[in-house]
Amino acid sequence: MIKQILSLLTMAIGFLFFSCEKDDICVEGDTPLLVIAFYDMAAIETLKDVPTLRVVGNGKLLPITTFTDRTALNTVSIPLKTEEDATTFTFTNTSAAAEDGSETGNADVVTFAYDREADFKSRGCGFIITYTNLAVSLENDTDNWIKNIEVVTTTIENQDTTHVKIFH
Amino acid sequence: MLKYFINGFLYLVCTAAVAQTSNTLVTKNSELYKDTYGIRLGVDLSRIITSALDDNYKGLELVADYRLSKNLYIAAELGNENKTKQENLYNFNTQGSYLKIGIDKNTYANWYGEQNAIYMGARLGFSTFNNTLNNYQIFNTNRYWNPTSFAEGANVAEEFNTRTAAWLEAIFGAKVAVLSNLYLGASVRLGFLFTDTNKGSFPILWIPGFNKVTSGSKFGVGYNYTLSYMIPIYKKDRKKKD
Repeated sequence: MIKQILSLLTMAIGFLFFSCEKDDICVEGDTPLLVIAFYDMAAIETLKDVPTLRVVGNGKLLPITTFTDRTALNTVSIPLKTEEDATTFTFTNTSAAAEDGSETGNADVVTFAYDREADFKSRGCGFIITYTNLAVSLENDTDNWIKNIEVVTTTIENQDTTHVKIFH
Repeated sequence: MLKYFINGFLYLVCTAAVAQTSNTLVTKNSELYKDTYGIRLGVDLSRIITSALDDNYKGLELVADYRLSKNLYIAAELGNENKTKQENLYNFNTQGSYLKIGIDKNTYANWYGEQNAIYMGARLGFSTFNNTLNNYQIFNTNRYWNPTSFAEGANVAEEFNTRTAAWLEAIFGAKVAVLSNLYLGASVRLGFLFTDTNKGSFPILWIPGFNKVTSGSKFGVGYNYTLSYMIPIYKKDRKKKD
């Protein structure tokens, strides 16, 4: 009789362990954003705000949504394409809307090239992208407000550190 | 008396579908009753039914046990499973075979003539299997470049072959003789995964015989519903007093 009761208890305890599962939600990770910090060209150790910055992805009409559009910032995080090996953005300094609705300001075009590695995070998350071999190129125009670009880290696994420094 | 009452109650709970068993008559000379010993061979009905109903699952499990003594059995399960699972952002297939070997100990005190069992058991389980990652999309909470969908990761199936796993299993189950030598059984199983070849870019998420592998936990659960037939080999006197 004691044996039977023990059996039932074992079963009951066994089921308790499986009442909830964390596997179905994703908490382990996310495809990282590219973190860019803007530094002063005159004092390269000093962060410097870009007045009313706007960043628009190439081929997109709307600016990126990771920060408030047309605000003064010295650090932004921008999303890279996860299905192509390069992403081009237009960074507009002193962006504003003209009376006819067109955009004014100094626009510079920057292309980020990289390799992508699919990285399995967990059952709930599935695969995220880790970017490697990051290279940045600035399209030359008559009046670049971006003076220099420095890649701090070529591997983008998380958003904890600055990946790219832009001097202006 | 209380012992029989509780046994009987457990028996009813576990075998609600079975109304009556055909017991041999209990004679006054019941101490001369002989127990039948033999090999019991069967098949898991739940895996057959699931195979028929679920397009993404094919499985078969053969079960066997051999009676060693009054309450002790050597038991084994041999199975093959093929399961395709669609998760949120990826689709993978697991295909492989497993073997579980161990013992069952009957804790049910049969009346003379009864051949039923409520048992606890233990198994050592092994599985070799292949994983195929059929396709996946990239998880990304930023929706700027893909506002309505997730970016395609890969559409070419990727193989992860010759994976293995081993585990210990604790079992609680019941077997009921529905006809002479024909048994219906049910069991629940708690597995403890102690080794697996979990390497490469796609981890082991499901193991034939063990079922779902959860992250951060070594435990797995399973069950079966068996139909088995006992091939009697010899009879042995039951002791007068159990």
